Formats: sequence, C-alpha cells, structure tokens
Amino acid sequence: MQFFLELSFNGLIIGGLYALVALAIVLVCKATEVVSLAHGQLLAFGALFFYAGYMLLGWPLWAAGLLGLACGAVLGFAVERLCMRPLIGQPLFSGFLMTFAVFMVLDGIFALILKGQAWGFPDFLPAGNITIAGAKMSLGGLSSLGISLLVFVLTVLLFRYTKVGLGMRATAESHKLAQSAGINVRTIFSLVWILSAVVAVVAGVMLARYYDIRFMLTLVAFKGLIVAMVGGLDSLPGALIGGLLLGWVENVASGYLDPFVGGGIQEVAGYIMLLLILLVKPYGIFGLVRIERV
Amino acid sequence: MLPCGTFNEDYGRDTAVIRTRLQWIITILAIVVLLTVPLYGGYYFIGLINKIAITIIAVMGLQLMMGYCGLISFGQVAFMAIGAFTSAILTSTYGWPFWLALPISGIVAGVVGIVGGTPALRIKGFYLALATLAIYYIVVWLIMHLKITGGVIGLHAPAPTIGSFAFDTDERMYYIIVPVMLLMTYFAKNLARSRIGRAFVAIRDNDLAAAVMGVNLFYYKLLAFFIGCFFAGIAGSLFAHWMMFVHVEQFPLADAVFFIGMLIVGGLGTITGVFFGTIFISLLIEAVTFASPTLTGWFPAMGIAPAAALGATAFGVIIVLFLIYEPRGLAHRWNIFKASYRLFPFAY
Repeated sequence: MQFFLELSFNGLIIGGLYALVALAIVLVCKATEVVSLAHGQLLAFGALFFYAGYMLLGWPLWAAGLLGLACGAVLGFAVERLCMRPLIGQPLFSGFLMTFAVFMVLDGIFALILKGQAWGFPDFLPAGNITIAGAKMSLGGLSSLGISLLVFVLTVLLFRYTKVGLGMRATAESHKLAQSAGINVRTIFSLVWILSAVVAVVAGVMLARYYDIRFMLTLVAFKGLIVAMVGGLDSLPGALIGGLLLGWVENVASGYLDPFVGGGIQEVAGYIMLLLILLVKPYGIFGLVRIERV
Repeated sequence: MLPCGTFNEDYGRDTAVIRTRLQWIITILAIVVLLTVPLYGGYYFIGLINKIAITIIAVMGLQLMMGYCGLISFGQVAFMAIGAFTSAILTSTYGWPFWLALPISGIVAGVVGIVGGTPALRIKGFYLALATLAIYYIVVWLIMHLKITGGVIGLHAPAPTIGSFAFDTDERMYYIIVPVMLLMTYFAKNLARSRIGRAFVAIRDNDLAAAVMGVNLFYYKLLAFFIGCFFAGIAGSLFAHWMMFVHVEQFPLADAVFFIGMLIVGGLGTITGVFFGTIFISLLIEAVTFASPTLTGWFPAMGIAPAAALGATAFGVIIVLFLIYEPRGLAHRWNIFKASYRLFPFAY
C-alpha cells in the first residue's frame, strides 16, 4: 500500500506538469485549430533562460522566473508572427507541418547550445519530506504540483472572466463570427501563442528541476500531445485529468511491471493507453465529437 | 501537357507512362547511366546513391499513404525496422536465402502495418499522426526487449548470394538496391494511376464524400497502410543486408521526421516529388555534414558543433520556406518548367 501511494504521488507530480504542457497545446489548438509540435522546444528554451538568469547571472528567483517567462513570451510571439501567420487561410495540415518545422529549427539550436551536455538544474523549491499514511512525500514535489494547479486555475479564470478570455473563447468557436463581432482574430492568435508559451515555460522550468536541462527534455512535448489527445484537443479539464492520469499510469505501470519485462515500460505505457483510448473514443475523453458534413 | 505536334491516336498511347520517342531515349539513357555508375563512380558516391535509393523506396511508401491517401504516419521508420529485423532473423537465424526474405520482410511489415493502421478507421489527421508515433515507440520497445531480435546487441545480416557470388561490397549491393528501387517506382507510379490510386486520392480529399461515392473506406485505408508499410519493409530489408548488421538505433525517430520533410519539399501527391525531395534533403544533410568542421573553424564559440544539430536546423528552415513560398513542392516547379519549354517560343 505504501509502495502504491508513493508511486501514485510521484506520478501525480509529473502528471501535473504533463497537464501544463497539454494545457499549452490545447490553448493553441482551441483558438487556431493547429496542433503544435513546437511546445517541447518552447518549454526547453524557457528553462534555459531561467537557468541563465538564476545560475549564470545570479539573479534572485523571482527575477529569473520573470526572465524565463518574458523570453518564452517573446519566443511564442515570434513563432506566431514569423511562421504561423503567413499560413492563415492555408489548409490546417500546413500549419501542423509548420509547427513541425519550427520544432526542427529550435531543436537544432537547442542542441547547439547544449553541446551534448546535461546542465544540472538547481532545486529552488523547499526541500524535505512529509509522511502521510506511511508514504514519504517530498515537499518540493508537493509545491510543484501546487504550482501546476495554480497556473491551471489562473488560466481557466483568465478564460472565464476577462475580456481577452472572452475573445479567445469566441475565436475558438468560429473565426468568422468572432471577426464580424469586432474581435481582432489575429491579435487573439498572437495573444494565445504568448499565453501558451508562458504556460509551457512554467512547465519547462519545473520539468527541468526533475530531468535537468538535457536534449531529451524537449521530448516531453510528445507526452503533452498524448495528454491533449486523451483528454480531447479542445477541452481544458481534459488536459488536467488526462495529465494526472498519464503521470499516474506511467509511474504505477513502471513500478509494478518493470521487474517482469526488463524495464522501459514508462516510455510505452502512455502510448498504449493513448491507442486504447483513441480506439474507444476517437476524440478523447472530454473532446467535442465533431459531426462532419461533406 | 504534351509537346507540340504529339497526339494520342489510340488508347494505349493515351495511358502510356512514357509517351514520346524522346522520353524513351532519355529513360533508356538514364537507366544505362544509372547501372554503369559503379564503373566510374567513387566509393563514397556509390554508398551515397545506395542510401538515397533505399530512402526513396521508404519515402515512396509514405507518399502513397500520406501524399495520396492522406494518412499521416510517423511510423514509417518503425516499419523499416520491422522489415530489417524480419529479414535478418530469417537469413541469419533460420538460414533462408535473401531472395526469399526480401519479399517476406515486406509482407510482414505490411501485415503489421494493417494491425497498426486499424485506428485509422476511426481517427484521422493529427490523431492518426500521434497514433502512429505510439506504434513507433511500441515497436522500438518490442525490438529492444524480445529475445529473437537480439535486443540491445543487434543482429548480423549476411550478404545476399547467388551460388558462390556474394553481394558483399557497396558496388555489388548497388546492383540489387537500384533495380529494386526502379521496380518499386514503376509499381508505385502505376498504382497511383489505377483504380486504387484514384480511391486513395478521393479518401485524401474528403473521406466522407469518398464513402458516399462508393469507395470502401475500410478496405482502401488498410490497403494504403499495407502498401506503404510493404515499401518500408523492402527498404528495411535492403538496408539490413547492405549494412550487414541491424540494430534498433539505426532507425531513429528523426528519420521518420526527415521522411515527412522530404515529401513536403518534393511535393505531396506525386511520384516524381519523392525523387526530388529525397535527393534534395539527403544532399543537404550530406553538405551540412561536410561543412560542419569548416563552420566550427569560423565560429569557435560553437565548440564541436554536432553536425546533426546543424542539419536539423537547416532542414527546418528549408521546410518553413517551402511551406510559405512553394507548398506544392519541387515537383510543381518541375511541371511549370516542363510546360514552359514545351511551349517555347510561345507564351501559352
């Protein structure tokens, strides 16, 4: 039981971060209908800038955090402005391929900066453990989970109660109708990319705390995509629940099955779950079922 | 468009792949030149052609799936790996001849492709892309953990033989790889023009409309997966016996990414585009690999810059430019060029 609790707890911590990555992807997908592959690089660059501020320049935590968020926002804006905007009006497929090209470019630059090394990331969250029902839980992990949930709630509130959020929701509903109601859809696209990059950077900084800054960090984007698909590409609660579910399934499956099959379940479990769920519910658990007409 | 003064006088000429006498001459010359390259080409050059030819086979399978039938797949490399390992297991573990293992590895990859393609019946677009990514990871995991595939050690794949003659050098392997590539091209070109190819295009443009018109979605989507993965399996088998060794790390996810890039650069939905895109991207990557030591000399701050990183960046920039300025790829440019010289000296 204690083993199970610890596995679940660690799974939920990582799952919260997966949920944030998925949230960033879902935000873009809701507003612009483009599924983005580039968020892994956005979050990695955010972590990189945070590292530069906190470790290399010796800034305080809040200043380094702001630097990471600001640079992430600029990067998100640049991606939208330079790459995604020329494709407005083209088939959605081109948009998908464009995010994929951005993924390649940023990936190459990231590899050039890293030069094949891993940069040890500082643990900036409180240290120590607490014990609940016999299972050890780290305070750092708890605060990481708390921050993910906080960012999630803030984003949902922004969507729900601000004018910009209303504009984003209207744009998600229909570009044409939003435009005719006086909403500047292009500005909304830019804002959505910036917001999404900022969310991704928060996730990136916390993920780098676990994995350090290394080349494989960008592959978390695929986890985010799995979550977004499992939860439904246009559903915010889907991203949260899917993220926690994926983190939990990965950790529990690897904890119980790895000794029997010789390791590596953690990488595959998520994909197997995705295949099974897509076979039963093609648009994800909470996704809107699209009724198509010819 | 046909050159001035050429008319199709009967049905056979109307449906011919090669239409004019000049085209016949060029085709035969090209084949002769291609088959005599080992006589005067350098060692490196032949290796490069072998690699490009194998890639062309795999990308052509992807073209039939993605360019013609609209099924995006990140799994092509995984099916190449399945073909390679099937071939290596059959030849080295069970002692079958290569000539039997080659088609069987294609069929095995195709059958696994059908199993992997079943989600395509209910999902499409990005969902399908992610599902095929899932298949990639599952296949890699299985190869790493099954006993029969040699796990992390890999497998030996013996060189093909006829009697006592072994195809154990790059020049000799060239005479297997290039003819197979030509054969597969001919097959793909004809398939794309047939009833099946038309059905694929209908499904790509709108699968509901295709179903209403009487195209059996279940049958044709799975057929697209089978054929695409069959090509990948053949390419994998050739690759295994050319390298004479298979290991799961020879099939990285980056290659699947490059395959899709090659299709974009070459042009989706054309067979000629496969050649343009594959050759263009392969040469680009080779050039970057060559240039990277020089670049490091110019910018010492980069340190020992990994060629792969520079290649990825260059590749990404090229795709961005193509998507913005020429979404129909090099094949479209080629058609414009052909039309212009055929009309010369008239404007239209």
